[in-house]
Amino acid sequence: MALSAVDTSVVGSAAAYDRGQRLTRRAWLIALAGLLGLGFLSLPFFGLLISTPWTQLQLQPGDVDSLQVSLLYTVEALLIVVAFGTPVAWWLARHDFRGKFLVELLILLPLLTPPLAMGLLLSMSYGPYSWLGQPLGKLGLSLTNTPESFLLAQIYGSAPYFIVAARSAFEGVPRELEQISLTLGQSPWRTFWRITVPLAGLGLGAGVALAWVRALGEFGIVLIVAYYPQGIPVKLWVNLQDTGLPAVYPLLWLFFVIGLPLPLILGALSRRRQDRR
Amino acid sequence: MVQQVRLSLREPIALDVDFQVQGFTALLGASGEGKSTLIKALAGLVPSAGEPFGGLPPQRRPIGYLPQGYALFPHLRAWENVAYAFGGALKSHRQRAVDLLDSVGLAAQADLRPSQLSGGQQQRVALARALARSPQLLLLDEPTSALDVNTRDDVMAELVSRMHQLGIPALAATHDAGLAAMSDWVVVLAGRRIVQQGPPREMFARPASVAAAALLGVRNRFTATVLRHVPEQGYTELHWEEAATVLRVPLRADAAPGWAVGSTLDWAVSPDDVRLPPLKTDRADDAENPIAGTIEHIIVQEASATAALRCGKARLWLRAPLRLIAHHGLRVGSAVTVHARAAQLQCWPR
Repeated sequence: MALSAVDTSVVGSAAAYDRGQRLTRRAWLIALAGLLGLGFLSLPFFGLLISTPWTQLQLQPGDVDSLQVSLLYTVEALLIVVAFGTPVAWWLARHDFRGKFLVELLILLPLLTPPLAMGLLLSMSYGPYSWLGQPLGKLGLSLTNTPESFLLAQIYGSAPYFIVAARSAFEGVPRELEQISLTLGQSPWRTFWRITVPLAGLGLGAGVALAWVRALGEFGIVLIVAYYPQGIPVKLWVNLQDTGLPAVYPLLWLFFVIGLPLPLILGALSRRRQDRR
Repeated sequence: MVQQVRLSLREPIALDVDFQVQGFTALLGASGEGKSTLIKALAGLVPSAGEPFGGLPPQRRPIGYLPQGYALFPHLRAWENVAYAFGGALKSHRQRAVDLLDSVGLAAQADLRPSQLSGGQQQRVALARALARSPQLLLLDEPTSALDVNTRDDVMAELVSRMHQLGIPALAATHDAGLAAMSDWVVVLAGRRIVQQGPPREMFARPASVAAAALLGVRNRFTATVLRHVPEQGYTELHWEEAATVLRVPLRADAAPGWAVGSTLDWAVSPDDVRLPPLKTDRADDAENPIAGTIEHIIVQEASATAALRCGKARLWLRAPLRLIAHHGLRVGSAVTVHARAAQLQCWPR
């Protein structure tokens, strides 16, 4: 009896060894699949690195102007989106009412509409001969190929992303903490700034970063309603059409240089705060 | 230290209550009775009408509110949590905040974040924060729920005595009979209304209803039917169906509401009043109401033990000194006949 018990234990451990081997093999397979996916996603960036003609980088005429246009108006658009989107996001996060899903749908609509279609829709309403564009034009506000129309396109392209992100950030703040702040004699306004905003900071930062990238890179809507003033995306397209691929490298790199820092900094800040908690 | 509360709520539940807060008061109720809602209504976080503070927004009510889990601001250090309640820039109130933390024995933890504090420490920070505004009434929602069992009694005893020192009345919503026993005043909420209020000694001695008895932690709760009234002997007989036992209680008139022969009533007996056969069998009243059963469990607690006695379909708990249990040689499976004095059976007609 004792011997057979020893035997089964040996068999058992051999089975466990086999299982361990299988698990290791599976782990390797998963790692390999992950590496392949990662390689696939980063391949175009690797391509950019090796195909950039580093010694012959030459800005095209108008590239610097497009840089200025993009920077200036994206910052403006972002300020407008944050100023008007934050209350909407907070309201959606903190209030329940009948027909709320309709409001949510209205906010998601611009996000679900393909950018080019959205541009067409904007020109139907804001174009020079449209139902709204005509009276606005009489008031001296032209929303086609003007800085204002450029801003308009960026706002439509980025606001829904910010609102969706900010709303879930606000929803993540326990309501109880806001209530406690009130019972401590603090005003709703101070509660919002000192409790809600810091606690929603991570998500709000992500929303700002997302909106920044969307506004800066907006092409489809801009192409239709604001071909001028030319921001970086349209200018890249023009360079590609007029001269070909070699003409896009310098501006493309500048695009990365101005586009990436804000999301990267916000990401790093949020990671640091998460570590501290 | 006495505060009258007269409150009427419609949303999210309908509740009309009228009770007193005296010193440290326990609002005892089962979950779902609306204790937390009532506390929130007093804090102004749920709409209500009545007194005190009727109609004031939360930020203008002179209360301190300690919710379940204490809700410290996770992004602020302990002292910043307290300083926040003073309003204005946090730094300008650092000294006052640290002094308050010192008064609850936490000066050394002033620079820690809430996640670095134990449950009891978090509660004290929340208390210091609530006291920053010199409240007239302290509201606590399930103050024992986030404490671990070993430190709970110590932490709560300290909290109660601190409230006494400060002279601030406190109302604590709880389902913990142990906390009620520590309080100055107990208010029982059952069936969406106040069924009883009074000092804990009275409450534990005479619960007003079987629901109140359940909340106060009375384990031996049963039903019985009225069998007959025997005026010449001065007792009424009840039939305890579950245990197939006849019990005698002091005479109640047939005309008393709910005491007609054949009516069902709730009754209870404290485990301390269920007696093992006495060592000397010369006292007749100790032999009242014999109940036969079999020992099912014995739970030893220091020098005494609680035993579960299986009597037919019912389980009757009794508590006795360990040496008496040893004297009777009781163990799981032993058959034993216990007694309960007629006057110690509490009955609630329906």
